[in-house]
Amino acid sequence: MGTQIKDVVMKADAPSTLLLDKHADYIAAYGSKKDDYEYTLSEYLRMSGIYWGLTVMDLMGQLSRMSKDEIIEFIKSCQHDCGGISASIGHDPHLLYTLSAVQILSLYDSLSVIDTDKVVEYVKSLQQEDGSFAGDKWGEIDTRFSFCAAATLALLGKLDAINIDKAVEFVLSCMNFDGGFGCRPGSESHAGQIYCCTGFLSITNQLHHVNADLLGWWLCERQLPSGGLNGRPEKLPDVCYSWWVLASLKIIKRIHWIDKNKLRSFILACQDEETGGFADRPGDMVDPFHTLFGIAGLSLLGDEHIKPVNPVFCMPEEVLQRMNVHPEILN
Amino acid sequence: MAELEEEVGVLVQRVVKDINSAFKKNPNIDEIGLIPCPEARYNRSPIVLVENKLGVESWCIKFLLPYVHNKLLLFRQRKQWFDRDALIDITCTLLLLNPDFTTAWNVRKELIQFGALSPEKDLYLGKLALTKFPKSPETWIHRRWVLKRLLQEHCPHSSLAKDQNRDVTTAQSAKYQEILHDELKVCTDAAGRYPSNYNAWSHRIWVLQNMAEEDSKIIYDELCSSKYWVSMHISDHSGFHYRQFLFKSLIRRSNFILDKTVSAPSLPTDHCASLPKEESSSEIQTWSLQGLFDEELDLCNDLIESYPGHEALWCHRRLVFFLWHHWSSDHHSCGTPGKTSLNGTDGSLGLSHTTTMVNKASQVMDVDCLIDPSLQSYSQETKRLKRGPQPDSHKLLAEHRFVSKILSDCGNMDQVRFATSYKKWLDSVIGQL
Repeated sequence: MGTQIKDVVMKADAPSTLLLDKHADYIAAYGSKKDDYEYTLSEYLRMSGIYWGLTVMDLMGQLSRMSKDEIIEFIKSCQHDCGGISASIGHDPHLLYTLSAVQILSLYDSLSVIDTDKVVEYVKSLQQEDGSFAGDKWGEIDTRFSFCAAATLALLGKLDAINIDKAVEFVLSCMNFDGGFGCRPGSESHAGQIYCCTGFLSITNQLHHVNADLLGWWLCERQLPSGGLNGRPEKLPDVCYSWWVLASLKIIKRIHWIDKNKLRSFILACQDEETGGFADRPGDMVDPFHTLFGIAGLSLLGDEHIKPVNPVFCMPEEVLQRMNVHPEILN
Repeated sequence: MAELEEEVGVLVQRVVKDINSAFKKNPNIDEIGLIPCPEARYNRSPIVLVENKLGVESWCIKFLLPYVHNKLLLFRQRKQWFDRDALIDITCTLLLLNPDFTTAWNVRKELIQFGALSPEKDLYLGKLALTKFPKSPETWIHRRWVLKRLLQEHCPHSSLAKDQNRDVTTAQSAKYQEILHDELKVCTDAAGRYPSNYNAWSHRIWVLQNMAEEDSKIIYDELCSSKYWVSMHISDHSGFHYRQFLFKSLIRRSNFILDKTVSAPSLPTDHCASLPKEESSSEIQTWSLQGLFDEELDLCNDLIESYPGHEALWCHRRLVFFLWHHWSSDHHSCGTPGKTSLNGTDGSLGLSHTTTMVNKASQVMDVDCLIDPSLQSYSQETKRLKRGPQPDSHKLLAEHRFVSKILSDCGNMDQVRFATSYKKWLDSVIGQL
């Protein structure tokens, strides 16, 4: 029987230095391929795509290369009468893209260009009796949406618009025996959901409900011999999970439980030396999503060429300082 | 340029029509797929129907997708009008190519609300989309919406339609069972198409929670059928988590009927031996949770020994032992069933604040104790943890014996790592409870 462990092999000639200029060029060029078939295919999440691109540019100190005016006009045209914001023009509003839009406008210090009171009303309208949040008017429930709701309102300084106690109660009902969280009560722990739930508890100042040692244990067991992190047992390592696991560990103050040097080598190996950008794993195709989480992960690991990133909002710390938003980090 | 656009328009309309006719011609299409074919080689439709399989030649996708995509957005912006049938066809083509296009599913939700589209048709479309995109989150989300609606219509006794009249006809009940079983089948297919398919398994949990919460028979059947499935998918953590979910459901149940189960004898451990023999809920007395736990730990032993080095198996063992430990101490200590809620608002099973495992100043957490003990700083912590009350239980000793056996005769490095980590988990988590 061959080797059982699911992991990647780190090649000796894999990139080992950070290629910041290449990444900035890659992101700057990405939005210009608008006729691309792939671009159409991903239009349903365009607002989040713009957030990924702009945030990684800001973390690299290159935000000025992006077309601010065009983006702000685009966001304005995506706000609907209900207050919610859609992924793109002609698509339906959703909490996921409402948060992305609010994050982008926060980077640009331009929240006033949209009707923020209506955004608050929209978020508020999606809270259910049990404290959970629907993603949109059709009623799907997920702890991701609890995070989107809390993060959006925190950036707008209106966290008190919702019933926080009930919202916390719902998120805690999704906690599992392993210390992790799933999408709904009874669902499997998943690093992405854990990030959302610890982030939510951080924003609402309720991190004392987390069993940090038990959760930290589960999270650091995500590190594989290659140094990369996976999102669940026996899954392959992935740069985006490296971010979600690492950010969660940072929030619960257990980041020293993983081998940072090996993780750094793994993330660097996921760069494409020719095109710029990061892929999920070494040698795969790059995309803006993994490029943001690669750069943000390196920032959490202390890379001095990148601006410090906030582990809860995945935005530059300096932006949150300016907005006076200070999510809790465990002591 | 305008001429080319017109040509594309004609082509796409023909393809959309061909897809529609294929479904009319064969209502039993059960799988969709892309046929790699970079160029149109023959003067024929790119839609190929072979038996129950519908294929689309890849060359046409780059024309087809942007066209139907833009048409739908024009409609959504009220810049172009389509009748209901045209909308159904456009969204169908669009979703088979790009099932995460949320707005297209929403258009279909509205068509269902208007009565222009039957909910069953959408369950079918989603099922087909999942044959090619088994993870597609938006497809699963749409299914939950459709199911809620269908159940309100057909099955007012379900938990999703609590406010309605509880008297149901046999026909409604049969319809309900059919929907439920079809849905479980869709989940099984998707789980088989993509390993550790989070969306498929969390959907299955949702289905049980919302469509079978009072049906013990289904929980037992699920426990039985998933046993074979996990044995054939030993790396699938999601499949094992599903069994954990089923166990928790049974424990909650047992808390209601504790008097009947506590003295029930353990039954022989053949395949699903501890499951009830009859469908009737009165047979609930005959099953023994203890017997099920014993079987599950036997299953863990068997799989861990047969397939060394699989993390999912060791994770499952942790939870099964944890649940057993919790259930058993609840059971035998004070005789108050349900003292600790397994489904309370605090899903942590009372674990919060019970463990403080690691020195905050330590460096890398050595979960598998492979770092030289003289170099790491938390051996004192481990000692401190071990000071916790050790449950005087032969089961815990049996777990330690199992680990020692694995460690003594195993040359597989991963197996050694997982076994050592499990031992540490027993000492620090179970030892602290």
